Amino acid sequence: VRCQHCPPLRALQVSAALRRAPDEHKKEPLASSSQQHFDSPPAGHQPEEKPQGPRPSYTGQGGQESEDYESEEQLQHRILTAALEFVPEHGWTAEAIAEGAKTLGLSVAAAGLFHSDGSELILHFVSECNTKLSELLKKEQKLVQLGEAEKKPIDEFLRDAVEARLRMLIPYIEKWPQALSVLLLPRNIPSSLNLLTSMIDDIWHYAGDQSTDFNWYTRRAVLTGIYNTTELVMMQDSSPGFEDTWRFLENRVADAMTMSNTASQVQSTGEAVVQGLMGAAVTVSNAETSRAVR
Amino acid sequence: QVFETVAKKYDVMNDSMTLGIHRVWKDILMHKMNPCPGTLLLDVAGGTGDIAFRFINYVRSVRQRQLQRKLKNHQNLSWQEIFESYQKDKFNSLGDSQVVVCDINREMLKVGKQKAQHLGYSEGLSWVLGNAEELPFDDDKFDVYTIAFGIRNVTRIDLALQEAYRVLKPGGRFLCLEFSRVSNPLLSRLYDLYSFQVIPVLGEVIAGDWKSYQYLVESIRQFPPQEELKAMIEDAGFFKVDYENLNFGIVAIHSGFKL
Repeated sequence: VRCQHCPPLRALQVSAALRRAPDEHKKEPLASSSQQHFDSPPAGHQPEEKPQGPRPSYTGQGGQESEDYESEEQLQHRILTAALEFVPEHGWTAEAIAEGAKTLGLSVAAAGLFHSDGSELILHFVSECNTKLSELLKKEQKLVQLGEAEKKPIDEFLRDAVEARLRMLIPYIEKWPQALSVLLLPRNIPSSLNLLTSMIDDIWHYAGDQSTDFNWYTRRAVLTGIYNTTELVMMQDSSPGFEDTWRFLENRVADAMTMSNTASQVQSTGEAVVQGLMGAAVTVSNAETSRAVR
Repeated sequence: QVFETVAKKYDVMNDSMTLGIHRVWKDILMHKMNPCPGTLLLDVAGGTGDIAFRFINYVRSVRQRQLQRKLKNHQNLSWQEIFESYQKDKFNSLGDSQVVVCDINREMLKVGKQKAQHLGYSEGLSWVLGNAEELPFDDDKFDVYTIAFGIRNVTRIDLALQEAYRVLKPGGRFLCLEFSRVSNPLLSRLYDLYSFQVIPVLGEVIAGDWKSYQYLVESIRQFPPQEELKAMIEDAGFFKVDYENLNFGIVAIHSGFKL
C-alpha cells in the first residue's frame, strides 16, 4: 500500500552515489533512512565505514533539490570522462565505461546507463575536444586583442586550429576508426553532424574578418572538407609525429585559399565535399575492417 | 506453497504455457544487462536457474573475447610469457563473475542444483534460501539484482524493492522481468482467452494441478501495470527507471539504477 504523500518523500531519500560538488573532500555522517517511508525499519540501513567511494548527499527540506545536488546527467558525464582513460585498451565500448565507473567507486553495472556500442562515450569525447578547442582559440584571440601576439594570416590560423583539434585524437588514434564508424550510424548522425558543424563554425568565428574572401556557404563546406579529409589521412599515417598529415593539411588549406577567388569553385566545392564525404565513409569502413583483421 | 507442487514441472510448464518464448524473453533480459566479467549477480526467485545459467554463458563468451583480444595485442611476447599468461587466464574463464541464486522455496533450489549438475555448470554459482522481502545479504554487495517472473509472487513488493536497493552497490542495476499489462485491446482479448481457457488445462494435463495455474494466471492480472511498477521502483530510490515492453506488453523488463 503506497502512502499518499510518497512523491515529495522521494527527494528526501539518501542517495548512494550522486553527491554534492562542494563537499567533495568532507566525510559527511550518513543519515538514517528513516525518512524514506514511515513504516520501514530505520536501523538496518546504517552501512559500515566506507573508506573510499561516493558519499551520500542530502536534498533540502520540503522535497526541493538543492542547487549543488549532482544530477544524473552530471554523474553520467563524470563516468564518461573517467572511461576515456580506458579507451586505448578496451576501445569505445561498454567495457571501457564499466572500468571508468569502477574508478569512481560505482558498480560496473553502471555501464548499463549507456548504449552498449559506446555512442555516448564517443559523442562525449568529441564534445569535450570541441570545448577544449574553443577555449584554446579564445585564449589566442585574447592575446591578440591585448597586443601580446600577432594576428595570424588566415591560412596559418586555419591550419593551426585544425592541427590543434586533430592532435587531441592522438592518444586514441588506434581506436578512432571504430569511433568514426559508430558516429556514422544513422542514430548518431544528427548529433555527430551537429558537433562537427558547430566546431567548424567556431573556428570560422575566431578566424575573424579575414574570411571575407569566402562566401558564407562555402566557408563551412570548405573547412569541413579540409577537416574530414585530413582526419582520414591522419588515421592512415605512420610517419613520425604525423608530419605527413600536417603537410597534407598545409596543402589543402593552400588549395582552399587559391580556390576562393573563383566563383565557379563554389559549386564544385560543394560537389567535391559530398564526394569527399562519400569516399570518407568508404575509407572509414575499409580502415575499420583492415584494423579489425590486423 | 503453490511452488512446491509446481517445482518439478516448472520448466516444462513454462515451455508449454509460453510456447517456448520465455527463453527468448530471458535472453533479451541478459542482452539488456550486458554484464562484463567480474559482475556479481543476485538472481532472486530464480529457483530453477534459468537466468543464472544464461549469465554464466554470457560472461564466459565475453571473457573469451577479452582473452583473444589480449593475445592479439601481445604478439611480441616470448613463448614463455605467452604460456604463463595462458595458464593464469585458463583458470579464470569467468573473470571472477559470480551469480547467487536466491529462492524462498527449497524445492525450486533443489531442482536448480540438479539442473546445474546435469548441464555441467560448476563454478561461479551459489544457491541460497531466502525471502525477497528480507534478504540474507549485507548492504552494497551486488552489481546486478534480477527477479524474473518472481516479483508478482511477493506479498509486499515495496519491501522487496527496498531490499533490492539495499543489497545493490552504488551504481548497481535492478532488472525485473515480469508479465505486465497488454494495452492493445484485440491482443488483450486473445491473451485473456488463452490465459484463462488454455493455461489451467495445460496445468492439469502436464503437472496435474489446475488450481496452481489458475492462481498463476489470476496473479498476473492482479499485478500492477508498467507505469505503476515504474513508480514503485522509483519510490524505493532507484534512478533512471525505465521499462521495455516485449510482445506488446505481455512481458515487460523494468530497469533502475542505484545512483
